[in-house]
Amino acid sequence: MDLRFLPEDMNWICQPCGVPLEPGMVELHYVGNVFRVELPVCPQCRQVLIDEELALGKMLEVEKLLEDK
Amino acid sequence: MDQKELHALEALCIQEEPPGCQAGCPLGVNARAFVQAVGKDDLAGGRAILEKSMPLAGIVARMCEAPCEQYCKRETLGGAIAIGRLERMCIEAVPSKAKFLKLPPKSKKVAVIGAGPSSLALANDLAKKGHPIHVYHTESGPGGWLRNLTDTVLKLEVIDQELKRLESFGVKFHPVKVLDYALCTEEYDAVYIGQDDELAADLLAMIGPADGETCALDQKGWFTGGLQAEGDPYRFIMAVSQGREAAISIDRFLQGASLTASRVKPRNGKTDLFVQTKDLSELKRIEPADQAGYTREEAVEEALRCIDCQCLECVRNCVYLAEYKSYPKVYARRIYNNSAIVKGVHQANTFINSCSLCRQCEVICPNDFSMADLCLQARQQMVVEERMPPSAHWFGLEEMKSAQGESRLLSHAQDQQDSAALFYPGCQLAGIRHLQTVKLYNELCAIEPKTGIWLDCCGAPAYWSGRQEDFEIMVEGFRNDWQSMGKPRLILACSTCLKLFRDNLPEIESVSVWKLLAEQQLVKKNIGKNALALSDPCTSRDDVETQGAVRSILQQLEQPLAPLEMSGKLTECCGYGGLMAGTDPALGRKVVEARVKQTESVMLTYCAMCRDRLALTGKPVLHLLDLLYPETALEAATPAESISARRVNRRRLKQIMAERCGKDELPQRYDWENIELVISQALEIVMEERHILEDDVRRVLHDYKQSGRHIAHGSENRKLASSRIGAATFWVEFYEEGDTFHLLRCWSHRMSIHQPDTGGR
Ligand code: SF4
Ligand code: SF4
Ligand code: SF4
Ligand SMILES: [Zn+2]
Repeated sequence: MDLRFLPEDMNWICQPCGVPLEPGMVELHYVGNVFRVELPVCPQCRQVLIDEELALGKMLEVEKLLEDK
Repeated sequence: MDQKELHALEALCIQEEPPGCQAGCPLGVNARAFVQAVGKDDLAGGRAILEKSMPLAGIVARMCEAPCEQYCKRETLGGAIAIGRLERMCIEAVPSKAKFLKLPPKSKKVAVIGAGPSSLALANDLAKKGHPIHVYHTESGPGGWLRNLTDTVLKLEVIDQELKRLESFGVKFHPVKVLDYALCTEEYDAVYIGQDDELAADLLAMIGPADGETCALDQKGWFTGGLQAEGDPYRFIMAVSQGREAAISIDRFLQGASLTASRVKPRNGKTDLFVQTKDLSELKRIEPADQAGYTREEAVEEALRCIDCQCLECVRNCVYLAEYKSYPKVYARRIYNNSAIVKGVHQANTFINSCSLCRQCEVICPNDFSMADLCLQARQQMVVEERMPPSAHWFGLEEMKSAQGESRLLSHAQDQQDSAALFYPGCQLAGIRHLQTVKLYNELCAIEPKTGIWLDCCGAPAYWSGRQEDFEIMVEGFRNDWQSMGKPRLILACSTCLKLFRDNLPEIESVSVWKLLAEQQLVKKNIGKNALALSDPCTSRDDVETQGAVRSILQQLEQPLAPLEMSGKLTECCGYGGLMAGTDPALGRKVVEARVKQTESVMLTYCAMCRDRLALTGKPVLHLLDLLYPETALEAATPAESISARRVNRRRLKQIMAERCGKDELPQRYDWENIELVISQALEIVMEERHILEDDVRRVLHDYKQSGRHIAHGSENRKLASSRIGAATFWVEFYEEGDTFHLLRCWSHRMSIHQPDTGGR
């Protein structure tokens, strides 16, 4: 399953790298499950941004679903 | 739990037993639903309910003598509901909308000799099943004695309407001069002899005694009914009922099936349904202005007297049980099914994890049904099978870990080499009222100087969340700790700790601090004289001794009490028990909201957690310590302590107590503790809801200060930093002002982030 979770505001700079975050693929792991997700990532150090809306919305929903599986 | 245990459990909950009226109806009509429909002026709905169980509803609803009324629960409270009259009114007021279904025709033929009520009922039931029916009647026409009634009782056209319906099912009517033996010819596979019609002497002579259950006669394939004498008060309806029983027998006989196997016996009014009537007042039966029958308005008024007999005793009192809109019999199956799922979503997990395990239902239920045992066992099974959702009890378990770790202290009193007693305040009192805990300890030392201190958590979160193995290891540790202190007696302030110690470590002499104080000469304090509503903690439910001690303290203080019905043995949970509020915060909230509404008075309790949970609603609530020690008292309106403050308070208490006992075991200082935060009130509330501690935020910001790693907004003065702490990643949005961090937002997630090929963080 490939998902895209890019916040409306993509104007974020990774520090100390000093470069803007870009859409990039990362893996999210939970209770033995793995998802590939497109998120804002620093192209240099791979630091990832998980937005509040994502964390408390879709991500929480999936967490609960996986827990009850 | 296996199938057998499930059935035993289901049998305990008698909510599905019929109400008296239905049990007392020879046809099993759902009179409760019928009367309720009439009460809502839904006469079409009412008629449909009657037609579901009544053969020839047009006749039966007018003629039934209503033996059900003898079993009506209203009987002693103003008189039984006039079910018979209501049925007549309903059937006369609205036409039938029912579509009668008929099964495909069968080949075996049935002769029905006589056409009284029992025969017509039998013909109706068998014809619907597809059996060819031949009814023999005298020349006056089918109906027997029903045809001789006055118009006010039963009009001929009503009878004829029902006969027409029977004909439409394929019932053949044959007029004959006499109803005699000659009619019972070989061509019939079964014969019914309706004795509620004028039978010839030769036929009567052939009828021996009939079997009471099956209506079978000695002659193979012969059945009979309609045996009531003319003066019998239930002559009509019992005849119909016998016709129906005989129809069941004939249908079975024609299929070659057993007449008796798993046959449902008429209940004759017997039911195990429990109906609470103690709060009901008398309501007089409505007498119709015209003796012929009720008007529609009168009928509705009469129907509204119906109690709507149900048990639901536990559900009425438990917000959790009511929330899921059913009752324990159904819940037991739901939980059983949830455990049985191998692949797919376990829909009932949250349900199972939300019960507060308070055991009020056990006390209330006439059969002691225990939802707490059911839910706790299901949780234990989930843990063993490694399918307990990790987030369900997470925060409660974190609290426990912290109280058993960084905030733990076990020490003899200052300058003492041993302890006669150990004071065990419990983690919640320690976190919520740490200064009062010190005060209480001082008082105990004044009574017994050799009173040591034991700051810890009793392991309730592990127990409640079904982590039985972990809990047992903790209990083992407690035993060792206690032995290492020379096996002193334990003085506990928290009902939950007390219960868990007594249940799991019976070798320890455990006593409530309130019991100890009640035995002292208490000085009457100048406290308010307004009556307080005393809410016992749910874990004190069976602890009569502690409950009594608290009341004795209040008596000594001359503190009057306001009545609170659900207290003592019936008391209610504050929504924290069983980690309910951790699993379902909104439900936990509803529980306290409902609780505080039970009294207008200021509330009083002797559990710190109860006090703060109840206070969440804005209700003024006091803790017993506020009455005992006015010098350290808090106002009843004091808001609940935040989760962040509780952590800090526990560490402070440990520090104070360690110093006080001369123990150089000061709590660990963390590098992050001094980070200065500015948090708006609105954000504080959000953090509380999301279970994010100031400690967590400080740790994230400390990591940021150390590494410099963060994400800065491209045009605004705000930064994001995050750290993985335990099972969650915490995110903080902030801006800096000198050394101070102004928090803007914070959130967390449990999923961990990994790079597609390399390792994660
Ligand atoms: S009290 Fe509750 S569990 Fe007990 S019989 Fe009634 S509905 Fe069932
Ligand atoms: S009160 Fe209503 S539900 Fe109860 S027995 Fe009487 S008619 Fe039936
Ligand atoms: S919350 Fe209490 S009363 Fe309600 S089901 Fe659970 S143990 Fe029973
Ligand atoms: Zn970077």
